[in-house]
Parts: sequence; C-alpha cells; structure tokens
Amino acid sequence: MSHSHKLVIKRSSMSRPPPPPPTTNKDQQHQNPSLQEINIKLIQSGEKERLKELLRERLLECGWIDEMKALCRAFTRKKGRNNVTVDDLVHVISPKGRASVPNSMKAELLQRIRAFLASTAD
Amino acid sequence: MSGPNEDNNTQLSSHIFGDLLDSIIVDVASECHRIAKLGLDRNLEEEEEEMRLSAQARARVADPSNSSETNTKYVVDIFGQTHPSVATEIFECMNCGRSIAAGRFAPHLEKCMGKVIPISSYHISICLYLSIMIDSYYDREFCAIP
Repeated sequence: MSHSHKLVIKRSSMSRPPPPPPTTNKDQQHQNPSLQEINIKLIQSGEKERLKELLRERLLECGWIDEMKALCRAFTRKKGRNNVTVDDLVHVISPKGRASVPNSMKAELLQRIRAFLASTAD
Repeated sequence: MSGPNEDNNTQLSSHIFGDLLDSIIVDVASECHRIAKLGLDRNLEEEEEEMRLSAQARARVADPSNSSETNTKYVVDIFGQTHPSVATEIFECMNCGRSIAAGRFAPHLEKCMGKVIPISSYHISICLYLSIMIDSYYDREFCAIP
C-alpha cells in the first residue's frame, strides 16, 4: 500500500533505530567483499525489495504480523496512545519478533539470499 | 566451494536476513503507531472513552465544589466552544454532512462510508483527498522533527 511505502521512506531518514551490532567476528571484514557492496547489488537488482516482500508475505501468512500488532496494541493500551513513540513499539516487538520467526521460513529466505550471493560472486 | 567462503556467505546471509526482518519490524511498528495516533483502533477508542468518562464521574463525585470546568479535559473558550483533547480542526463529513473533529475523522469515516451504497467517482476522490489530508496531518503532528 502506498501509505506504508511512504512511511518507510520517511522513517529511514529519521528516527530509525540503529542496526543491530554485527554478531560476527572481525575477521569477516578482511575476507569477504564488504556488506555494503552486497547491499548495493541487492538494492540495484531489485532483489532486496523482492526478498522483503517475500518475507513479509510469509510472516503475514503464519500470523507473525498479527502477533506483533497485538503486542503493539497491548503496549499502547498501557502507555496511552498519546505517549507512544515508534521507537517504543520497535523495542517492544523486536526481541519476540526476531525470536519467533519459524525456522522453515528463515531457511527459505537464507537459501534465496545465498543463491543471490552465489550469482553475484565474481 | 571452499570452506571460508561458505562461512562468509552464511554469515552474510544471516546479516542480510536480519536487516530484512528489522526493516519489517520498523514497518509494523510505524503502522501501529499511525493507527494509535489517528485513533483507528476502535476497541482502544472505546476503552479510553470509558476510562475517561469514569474518571470524570469519579472526580465529580469526589470534588465538593463540583466545578466541572477544572475536572474535565474540556475547556470552554470565549465563543462558548469546547475543545476536546483530540485534534480540534473540524471537518464536515462529505458523506453525512456532520461536523467531525479531525481526531475522530478516521474512525467516523470507517463507519460512515459503510452506509453508502452507490460508489461514485466523487466518493472515491473524496476518500483519496481525505486520506492525503489524514496522512499530512499524521506527518505534521507526529513525525515532525522536534
């Protein structure tokens, strides 16, 4: 929907929370092409958008998005809707959200990402 | 494929997946934030309304002087108009002709438009116009950089 695209564009330039710190060791930075390069290829080829849509669709199908929305509503009810910020809600749903992605779904996405990486390897 | 390359690819993939997931989390949070601020969650609206009314009633009962002005969120201005705590801009609903406060407009429209049987391009343009207005209201009120 056009609304959510507009919000995404705005959000990414404003109060978007910092990306999670890299969990990998420092060696990675010496060995592989930079994550930035890969990201650029992902975006330019349109694959990033396709992957995101695929993930969103899967998450919708399995009820994950409904679950996250319920968490947001519960938090909003407690804190009061005039006091709630986007950052609040991100922090509310991130831990549970990251932990509750079905393994099969994660595997499917990872496989597709790996396929993309293989296809762009020089 | 060589070992180290595979490991790198695995780590990279995980990182990229994490990025995608985080991005969707932000989307969901933003959408819920918007719904909350625009009063589109009807259950929440009804709950809040009940809580507000009961708090008012309790305050009225408890206060010996029983001055209603100080105990409610409604202030009467010099023109005799009340200003509720939701957004004060008043719009006339193109559908039913009623005057609706901006903060109540979205939920009103949800109910109101449901009663229209013929869908004309007029109605569609009004809906588009209104959603643009509601969006810009949301942006101005809740997304402006402090």
